[in-house]
Amino acid sequence: MTWTRLPFIAGGIAILEDIGGCLLFVGEAFRTALKRGIPVHETFVQIWKVTMQSFSTTALAGFFVGALMTVQFSLLVRNFGALGFLGGLSTSATIREVGPLLIAFMLSGKVGAYTSAELGTMRVTEQIDAIRCLGASPFQEIILPRIVGIIISSFFLLLVGLMMSIAGGLLLGILFAHINSDEYLRNVPTIVNAFSIGTGLFKCLVFAILLATICTYKGYSTTGGSKGVGQSVVATAVSTMVGIVVADWVTSVISEAILNLAVGR
Amino acid sequence: MKAMISFKNIVKRFGPRTVLKGISFDVAEGEILFVLGTSGTGKSVLLKNIVGLMRPDEGEIWIDGQEVSRIPEDDYLPVRKKCGMVFQHPALFDSMTIFDNVAFGVRRHEDLPEDQVGERVTRCLQLVNLSGVEQKMPGEISYGMQKRVSLARTVAVGPKILLFDEPTTGLDPVTTSAVNQLIKDLSRSLKTTSMVVSHDMRCALEIADRIMVLDQGHIIAQGTPEELKRSEHPLVRDFLDEAVNA
Repeated sequence: MTWTRLPFIAGGIAILEDIGGCLLFVGEAFRTALKRGIPVHETFVQIWKVTMQSFSTTALAGFFVGALMTVQFSLLVRNFGALGFLGGLSTSATIREVGPLLIAFMLSGKVGAYTSAELGTMRVTEQIDAIRCLGASPFQEIILPRIVGIIISSFFLLLVGLMMSIAGGLLLGILFAHINSDEYLRNVPTIVNAFSIGTGLFKCLVFAILLATICTYKGYSTTGGSKGVGQSVVATAVSTMVGIVVADWVTSVISEAILNLAVGR
Repeated sequence: MKAMISFKNIVKRFGPRTVLKGISFDVAEGEILFVLGTSGTGKSVLLKNIVGLMRPDEGEIWIDGQEVSRIPEDDYLPVRKKCGMVFQHPALFDSMTIFDNVAFGVRRHEDLPEDQVGERVTRCLQLVNLSGVEQKMPGEISYGMQKRVSLARTVAVGPKILLFDEPTTGLDPVTTSAVNQLIKDLSRSLKTTSMVVSHDMRCALEIADRIMVLDQGHIIAQGTPEELKRSEHPLVRDFLDEAVNA
């Protein structure tokens, strides 16, 4: 047995190959975009489709994420007699960390799985080969509109989810912690500053890019019939969730470093 | 007669497995060549090498006087415009109407006004004996009709070469016969060179000018249908017996 067949090594090599394949895929998408342009109409179709498919679910999930944060924080701050800080703490944690993460997870299950299955089916039923044979570029026809469409719509959906999470937090603050809206919102500007909002937006953008590239790559590289489509969907879900968690850590570190630079620490 | 397609010592490997082991053959202009073989013998690989969906590991492929096996992907477009391929699956684009499917290649290659695109689509659908389906979605028509739409889409861009990958797989005997006749009629009326890949000897005897039998990466027999009927090779005899029984 060679050392490359050891489970850990083989798994590591497979992950590196996957990352390499994804980077080449993104490179090809960039090259096609620069050379042939991005089809505007099809991109708008994708933005509309993805947004409409996931708007209500994202809004609902966002609402309950905010509600959940408020409930958890209220249990803690109540003990210190600091209910006045509930709104600020809950909103800050939701915007900076929990909101983008949980909503991105949900989008990876919905948008990611759908796109991966759609492209995988196109691959195994030879539709992608047919596009090439008809003298067109699959990257221009189906990949670029989906990548750009998913990035834009996911970013927008994440923002919608965050706004709904603030609303959910506020409502639960009133209903659960029995504080009025003025009290809940009073300390929000104290704790939630431009940096918190910037961090949240930065994370939303990074998660949207990750989701769009991973699901299109996994779908496009599907092999092996209907079983292969199923495997691609599972691989998309796993890869996007792992990718989002890793990206969350990386973006947190970057944001922290930027903050330290800004305040001169 | 001029060779429209030439394979010269083509070798194709998938990992440790060599599927095509130094295949050489020509397809003359206007000829219908039928490639027969059992599953997994590399029949579809032959076609995919012609349209550049796969590239050979060794050897040369000449299409209409041009060596194409090493040209970059971006330069393959003119070759693909010459070669229309009908896939094993109908491979219609699910999100488009039948009209848009057939118009797909025309809109991308020719700067035609939409009314002329419409005329072309209608004419191509009539060629495959379909009408009134233009505004339907692929899922709304039968599998046999989808196969014919796929043929119309291929023909619409005016290829010199038509490649058929298992064109009658999954079809009932009546539709199979109709599709075979269609392949023969289209090849004759459009004066195209055709290559059909299948494991159906009955279809081969019905429409081929020449039949080539592939086994384990080698050509084991080739000739006109009449010549093949006289072959003593066991695999060819098996195919012939199967056709007689069918």
